Amino acid sequence: MSKPKLAYYLAGGCGGCDIAVVDLSETLIDVALAVDIVFWAPTVADAKYKDLEAMPDGSIDVGLISGNVRNSEHEHIAHVLRNKCKVLIAFGICATNGGIKGLVNLHTTEELLDKAYINTFSTDNPNKDLPQTSMVLDGKYELTLPSLMYARPLDQVVKVDYYIGGCPPHYEHVKKAFTALLSGQLPPPGSWITMGKAVCEVCGRNPVLQGKPKKFATTVKRTIDGAPTEDGCLLEEGYLCLGPVTQGDCGSKCPAANVPCRGCGGPIPGVKDYSLRAISAIASMLDNEELIEQIPDPVHLFYRYTLPSSFPYKRLKS
Amino acid sequence: MKKIEINPMTRLEGHGKITIFLDEQGNVDNAFMQVVEFMGYEKFLIGMPIEEVPRTVSTICGV
Repeated sequence: MSKPKLAYYLAGGCGGCDIAVVDLSETLIDVALAVDIVFWAPTVADAKYKDLEAMPDGSIDVGLISGNVRNSEHEHIAHVLRNKCKVLIAFGICATNGGIKGLVNLHTTEELLDKAYINTFSTDNPNKDLPQTSMVLDGKYELTLPSLMYARPLDQVVKVDYYIGGCPPHYEHVKKAFTALLSGQLPPPGSWITMGKAVCEVCGRNPVLQGKPKKFATTVKRTIDGAPTEDGCLLEEGYLCLGPVTQGDCGSKCPAANVPCRGCGGPIPGVKDYSLRAISAIASMLDNEELIEQIPDPVHLFYRYTLPSSFPYKRLKS
Repeated sequence: MKKIEINPMTRLEGHGKITIFLDEQGNVDNAFMQVVEFMGYEKFLIGMPIEEVPRTVSTICGV
């Protein structure tokens, strides 16, 4: 039997998900021996887009895409990979929900370009030049760039078979996902590949797991306001932790390091709009309504990883 | 003028492409390296509590 063919494409991401795969270390050798990697660009293999485009449709068994879809090149390659791959996986929170880079949707392209290329203290751009999708330099050199788009999760562009959360996915979770893939033990198409538990359910700070009652937060704190107790619930102490609604395939690594969860794991099963559920969860754990006023910068907290997939945003765009 | 495109540049994070222009004799007339992506952190970070910034900007490049 021939080995399953694997393709990996980094769209509008940071390469952190690629590194999460490389972090499999010795296990990566087993994975590499078990599959035939036909495309992994731009990070790991020396493959070009035209090589991918030349492959027959349906000839790749599994395709992984990390990063969101942010420009015309990402969109094009997402469509190409969908045609070439039997199974397509949104890998990491940018591909599943938009990710941190999806926060660009808070602004117009003009505002973003103006801040980055013109209106910044350290920028020297007297002619106010901005990137152009096509230009002719010196009257003879024709150059092109992809056109910018609002950030979209992969499933707003092509059909996605499976979702894997995380920013990036923890390598132990990647290992489990690859094992499931290679053994064919996958959930129904359209599912998240997850153990299905929330961060709280695997958190050493969860009072319920220690047989203690859960208390409301009577204050709202920022992490610069001091260090939390060694083993108490961050939320009870007022640090706004999104563990209750976030997939815990990370093993609750951030709360273990005194850092409240920010939701990179993606929504726990049954949640359609992560951000709304997170707002609801936090609101239900505060002692009184006045505390809501004290939440610093709610947009960057509740929508940090999921803005392009959120319900109000999708309605706004349609 | 003949144009050769190398797309994408590989074994790095971030998307780039190289365009090489050849003259009539087939010699390199000029070559360009373009970064084809734009992110926008300069703008969308504004308003974020400072203690949240390090774990956010670590996604500019995760390699």
